[in-house]
Amino acid sequence: MPRRSSLPVTFVVPTLVILLILSMVPTLYAIIIALQNRELSSTAYSWVWFSNFFDLFSDRRFLNAVWVSVKWEVVTVVATMVVAIGLGVLMFEVASQRLRNVYCLLFIIPVLLPRVSAAFVWKFAYHPLYGIATYPYRLLTGGLIFDPLSKPSTALFAVASVDVWQWGLFFAVIVLKLLETLPPQPIEAARLDHAKRWQIHAYVTLPMLKAPLVSLMFVKMIESLRSFDLIYVMTRGGPGVATETLDMYAFSQGFIESGKVSYASAMAVLMMIATVITFTMLWKRVQA
Amino acid sequence: MSAIVCSHVDKAYGATTVIRDLNLSIEEHEFVVFLGPSGCGKSTLLRMLAGLEDISGGEVSIGGKVVNDLDPGDRGIAMVFQNYALYPHMTIFDNIAFGLRRQKVPAPEIDKRVRAVAATLGLDPYLGRKPAELSGGQQQRVAIARAMIKTPKVFLFDEPLSNLDAKLRNHMRVEIARLHQSLKTTTVYVTHDQLEAMTLADRIVLLKDGVIEQIGSPAEIYGRPANIFVAGFIGTPNMNFIEVTVARSGNGWTLTGAGTALSIDGAGFHLQPGGRAVLGIRPPDLKTARDGDAGILQGTADLIEFHGNDALVTFGSGGKEISALVPARECPVLHAPVRYMFEEANIHLFDATSGASLRQQ
Ligand SMILES: Nc1ncnc2c1ncn2[C@@H]1O[C@H](COP(=O)(O)OP(=O)(O)OP(=O)(O)O)[C@@H](O)[C@H]1O
Ligand SMILES: [Mg+2]
Repeated sequence: MPRRSSLPVTFVVPTLVILLILSMVPTLYAIIIALQNRELSSTAYSWVWFSNFFDLFSDRRFLNAVWVSVKWEVVTVVATMVVAIGLGVLMFEVASQRLRNVYCLLFIIPVLLPRVSAAFVWKFAYHPLYGIATYPYRLLTGGLIFDPLSKPSTALFAVASVDVWQWGLFFAVIVLKLLETLPPQPIEAARLDHAKRWQIHAYVTLPMLKAPLVSLMFVKMIESLRSFDLIYVMTRGGPGVATETLDMYAFSQGFIESGKVSYASAMAVLMMIATVITFTMLWKRVQA
Repeated sequence: MSAIVCSHVDKAYGATTVIRDLNLSIEEHEFVVFLGPSGCGKSTLLRMLAGLEDISGGEVSIGGKVVNDLDPGDRGIAMVFQNYALYPHMTIFDNIAFGLRRQKVPAPEIDKRVRAVAATLGLDPYLGRKPAELSGGQQQRVAIARAMIKTPKVFLFDEPLSNLDAKLRNHMRVEIARLHQSLKTTTVYVTHDQLEAMTLADRIVLLKDGVIEQIGSPAEIYGRPANIFVAGFIGTPNMNFIEVTVARSGNGWTLTGAGTALSIDGAGFHLQPGGRAVLGIRPPDLKTARDGDAGILQGTADLIEFHGNDALVTFGSGGKEISALVPARECPVLHAPVRYMFEEANIHLFDATSGASLRQQ
């Protein structure tokens, strides 16, 4: 029945082709640029093949950016999941139905805030003199100055806390809703089986929710890769290079400091390859 | 000593009272079945015994100890749920062992006990599987194993067989009966299936709207129902009820209603001349009448349901539908006139207003 089967194809193919072009062209273009030595200041260029990549591996600032990115990824993903599961379980255990609705509403608000706004709000909250987040410290120490965003040891965590504030609370709502969808009988059976409240969650409910929780974690991992706006507003990669992730560094190499577009593209290509490989492996691990 | 005592137990959800001033005492080793129509509070009562539902008023004690405020785990009970409630992510072995592990029983002993219980219930081949890889009957056996391994003082079952098909249900019913014979553990069993109640129970507790209508052995409940509700609820096909007026006649009594007048001796019943009563006769107690018999109900056969050995004949008598269960070979043809008689020993009489039995105790 060629007539019947050609109709869906007619509709689907153009869209797919457009999508493919939209996603493939920039990617291919980035790869091509990464093999050249283009700079923003001139139109002249030549093919340098892999020398950008070799340069990267001897660039200490790049290696630092890799390390910061890994730290950022691990800290935000782990903290988000811990906060989400902790708060979700806590709400499930102690909050009444009405209170749960109120909390859910409150916890969804941060994630609705545009990232840049959230970043500005918290940048001010972390202000050493006027910030509300540093107020307890000033109160307890009798007016000592604490500036988390300008200390290399705390800056990353201060920025990460904003990310967790946005996503951890939102995920807590999702975890609560997931817990509410579970059938009550296994939980009751566990109560009869001498399980304490925390054991019920550790051994019964959370394992039952393993698949959705892993999916949530993947969503957060992908989301954490796109932290540019948050870091840009709060620290611009500083102090020094303490919060300079790969995308921050690529951006500043490409457009701010030296205009080395090809060098930045090489970084982007490496990031893409690393991300694809890591996620494929993780996904396989989880599926197994 | 009684295994379970409920005294003046109430349960309310907000403004709606589900259980009202319930008093019940269950002996050790007894098999008690809670029976009643849907929504009468059977599960609620059972869950209150288990500690899964808090008690609004009154006192529940298990093994001589008041358990109102004890955690479910500390009440010495084990429960089997209608939908098995297995832990889906654990193997069968882990499912059965879960309770022992939480009590910190040493691993070698857990292993020994799980294997022993699995052997009793024929679960050996499945210990490494997940619940989703078992049939419904096997899953319910795992649920029973999980309850058994705790060696509880009391077993609680909430409609454990209602998710199974008819054949498997019979099989599992026999298995539960056998298990109770060998373990002798006090058991409370909730069902709305009469056959299960009749075959398993030492005593049946018949509930309606959170109130106990009658407590008694299956034979008592069937043979001497305390009121119209119990009489109508127990027994398939359902008992026939005929509203009658009672009158004195000579040494006996005459019951007039449904187009006939029936003479009975009336000994054994509290009857009032001129009073109104409800006569109850079970369909199997109606026999094909011969000439000269007394106590005759007659009409035309409207409906004949063939059951195999028997046939259920429904006929109209004085505007009232009456059913008789007769041997298939005596089955009349449709629309033929039929006449049935009964023996006085088999009838039930109830007060027309209160519904209570008029039988002398
Ligand atoms: N959480 C609740 N809130 C309010 N009413 C409830 C609640 N749980 C049960 N009920 C009411 O309590 C009554 C008894 O419920 P229960 O589950 O004990 O019935 P049941 O006898 O087990 O019925 P079934 O045979 O259908 O299982 C019902 O009328 C039900 O509507
Ligand atoms: Mg029920």
